[in-house]
Amino acid sequence: MKKFVSLLLAMALVLSLCAFAQAEEITLRVLAGQSTTDAGIEDMIDEALAKKYPEIKLEWECVDWGNDFQPKMQVYMQSGLPDIMIGKAQDVSTYGSLGLLADLTAQPYMDNILDAAKEGVTLDGKVLGMTFNCLYQGVYYSREIFNELGLSVPKTHEELAAVIETLKANGITPFASHMVDTWSIGNVTMQFAVNDVFNKNAVWGDDFRAGKVSFETSPEYKTAYEYNKLIYDNTWTDETFSLEQTACDAKMVMGEAAMKVSGSWSIQNFLGIDESYDFGIFPFPNQTGDAKLLFEPNITFMASAKSEYQDAINKVFEVIATDKDLQVAIYDHTMTAPMVKDVAPTFANPSQTDIDAYAAAGMIQDVNLGNNQLVWGGFQEENAKDIAEYLQGKLTIEEVLKASDARRDNSK
Amino acid sequence: MSRKTKEPKIREKVKFTPALWITQLVMLGASALFLAPLLIILNYSFKTKKELYVGNPLALPQSLNLTNYENAYKKLNLEVTFFNTALYTIVSVLILALLCGAAAWAIARNKGKFFQFAYLYFIIGILIPAQALFLPIYIVGYSTGLVNSRIGVILMYVATNISFGVFLMTSFMSTVPVELEEAARIDGCSIYRTYFTIVFPLLKPAMATLIIMQSFQIWNDYLMSSLYVSTNRLKTLTVAIQSLFSAQSSDYSTAFAAIVISVLPITILFVSLQKYFIKGMTVGAVKG
Amino acid sequence: MRKMSPSLRKQQMQYLSLVLPGMIIFTFGLIVPMFLSFYYSLTSWDGMTVEKPFIGLGNYVKLFSDPYARNAWWFTIRFTLWNTIIQNVAAIFMAVALDSGIKGQKLMRTIFFVPCLISAVVVGFVWLKLYGNVLPALFKLMGLQGSLAMLLGKEETVLQGLLIANNWQWIGYWMLIYLAALQSIPSDLYEAAKVDGANAVRQFINITIPMLAPALTICIVGITTGSLKVYDLLVASTNGGPGRASTSIIYYTYSTAINGRQYGYGSALTISVVFALLLVAFLQVKVLKKREVQM
Repeated sequence: MKKFVSLLLAMALVLSLCAFAQAEEITLRVLAGQSTTDAGIEDMIDEALAKKYPEIKLEWECVDWGNDFQPKMQVYMQSGLPDIMIGKAQDVSTYGSLGLLADLTAQPYMDNILDAAKEGVTLDGKVLGMTFNCLYQGVYYSREIFNELGLSVPKTHEELAAVIETLKANGITPFASHMVDTWSIGNVTMQFAVNDVFNKNAVWGDDFRAGKVSFETSPEYKTAYEYNKLIYDNTWTDETFSLEQTACDAKMVMGEAAMKVSGSWSIQNFLGIDESYDFGIFPFPNQTGDAKLLFEPNITFMASAKSEYQDAINKVFEVIATDKDLQVAIYDHTMTAPMVKDVAPTFANPSQTDIDAYAAAGMIQDVNLGNNQLVWGGFQEENAKDIAEYLQGKLTIEEVLKASDARRDNSK
Repeated sequence: MSRKTKEPKIREKVKFTPALWITQLVMLGASALFLAPLLIILNYSFKTKKELYVGNPLALPQSLNLTNYENAYKKLNLEVTFFNTALYTIVSVLILALLCGAAAWAIARNKGKFFQFAYLYFIIGILIPAQALFLPIYIVGYSTGLVNSRIGVILMYVATNISFGVFLMTSFMSTVPVELEEAARIDGCSIYRTYFTIVFPLLKPAMATLIIMQSFQIWNDYLMSSLYVSTNRLKTLTVAIQSLFSAQSSDYSTAFAAIVISVLPITILFVSLQKYFIKGMTVGAVKG
Repeated sequence: MRKMSPSLRKQQMQYLSLVLPGMIIFTFGLIVPMFLSFYYSLTSWDGMTVEKPFIGLGNYVKLFSDPYARNAWWFTIRFTLWNTIIQNVAAIFMAVALDSGIKGQKLMRTIFFVPCLISAVVVGFVWLKLYGNVLPALFKLMGLQGSLAMLLGKEETVLQGLLIANNWQWIGYWMLIYLAALQSIPSDLYEAAKVDGANAVRQFINITIPMLAPALTICIVGITTGSLKVYDLLVASTNGGPGRASTSIIYYTYSTAINGRQYGYGSALTISVVFALLLVAFLQVKVLKKREVQM
């Protein structure tokens, strides 16, 4: 027994030493905060990198962006950041303002990135992140059901109410939803708020912190919160708090529901369950009937300002920004839209025609307008929990609005 | 009866009275209820994505397809994560067995103030929720250079599990006869020799309990490993599985296969060591 | 002890060297972090910046007026009480039943035990699926409304749903401890009772229960401290919801300190949890030990 123990101990030591032995080439640490559709892109990047710069290796740490990215960053701020961080565009304002991110403005490969993608990641004139793709957010709808019932895309609330009535009369659940996920409640609430609040006052969040406006006194924000109730009353009300996302998307694909307030992350599910599912997208109507389709800059590459391997990091970013094969592979895998110039994904996205139409009419809006002003963790997330309690009848709408106001100090 | 020699219990072979029949039936029903979720996991692990979401949840998969297992093998990076998990578990548990046994023995054989204090000091650890301390635990880890290293995570497992181990071993010590040790000491054996040659072998049942209980805790641990060894190269099985059903990939059909893969080894360990385990439990439970 | 002082000293040092390695690792791994946590609890640190502004006991004052903390404690306490009752009663009865000489007891023992070998994160996820899909389908098959089975989706029933999942996981574990204790009861005690004409119920009350007292202490302390710390189970199932209906105190601590970027206040919550746990365990051991002696 004793011998056995010491043998195992020795083995363990040797093994852990071996693990450190092969550090000849450059190894960059990467923290990847991934959301629904991103898992798997790390292998593609590794492969492309190995072709061009075989001496650079990436040591990946992939975590769930929603739950684990911020805690990880918090932990690494104590000890030293990884060389490369992959998050969302909104992370740039959080960590860039602490002076943690390297300035990418002058890098030649940045010319390949769309200018629209640079706006949200620029702080004090410096571009601190490389945004790679974006997600569209709005109401996804089944073209088949809409065509069959002769419905057209609603622009105002009266039209939406009519659509809901027709669907109900035909035994179809108007909205698919999965409110077991707090993030989903938070996401749709922000969609409502951008079109009803932030499009009227682009600095509403800053005004809120300055004490100029409040949730309680804002009829627009009250309406935005109340739309949740509209969804809740017109979805599978009994089930929505027990249903996770994929199961919800599956029910919609099977024709049980006709619409879903969601984002491009649902496309992977839609087509994964039925590759011939035909769907479109429209913005959730606002009070004034001029709602814009929302897009959210998604995967964003950031470099640590303190890393000793700036050269190697730039080589990696260069590969990502210039390798067309890699880009197409990632867009096809994630089923998202590019933020890189001159590249087109080859997957068939049934909602693309709608997106193009809104884009041509100038009716699209970056959702980070709201997200950058009102932070998710500790603010939007807590508000979403209140909204859940309101839907379940535990709080009144006034109490929910008051609770949001009480969180003012924690909103950024 | 013939079994008297084997286990301490065992009354005479029981006749099947009506009461016993009822007990038998109730227990059969109970085990069916307990088994059902396990069977459902197994069932789901063979279903295709379509069957999982579109089909009847109660139906059996159309074929015994192993795609999920193949995917799980690939996505979990099974060779690496399995090896990591096994390594962390085995080494931590062995160190724990060694340290807890020795510490418990020293505590049990010394009535001095320091040893009494040491006992209480260890016991407090059972009550400290490590989950809530994760940032300071990490801060201690990186300032000693132990983050993202195998040694680091092993030491953390030892630190967070040692309290229970010492508690268990100390309660077992009262069943270890002092006479043998004293005889050895009179023969001139050092404390170390006495411990390793005389005491250690007597601790086997308690050691078995300790090893099983700690093994499955460490094998299944999520928090420490996600904190200390989160890079893909050092990752453990539980962390890899968790990422399969977090919003990150929501790949549920693969996740169920992964669950089966991760539960099997620890179940086999339990079933094969069951006998010792129960023996060790007996001691712990009676001398609490 | 007839040894001379120098050799006794040497012996003491050797004993000491057996305890110290464990103590050192334990100190660095758990005790130092706890003191760090106490220090943070006196600051308004957000967990990210370099400076940690000292604010004294402010966080502890806030603790008493925080409705969310109260709500989280209330959930945790109910979760703990029900677990303690259900798990102990069920585990004792199942242990007695297994020990009564029924057939297939070894297989059953294994079946009951296996759930606790599964990580709590996974258990939460599996039960989310069971309540969300499998049970509703089963209910429909029986002609009931499927949504009746969706226990995790309603504020009123989420506690029941989590209790079922948690008990499924842990009953077998405690049952095994009771079983071990049962099997170590000398059989002559029962024979003597039989000679005295005691029936099965009397035997159970007069012999079995008192003889199980030490095991009962272990199980009660184990279940309460374990339930008070519940966190993993919630991560992959309810995430503390719907709303905040299943937010345990540890879950609240974690989400306040990390997601809410109030590390100082979160640390104060941590310290209060440690104190509560110490208090509960201390009281239990005191009371239960006293009863053991009386019996």
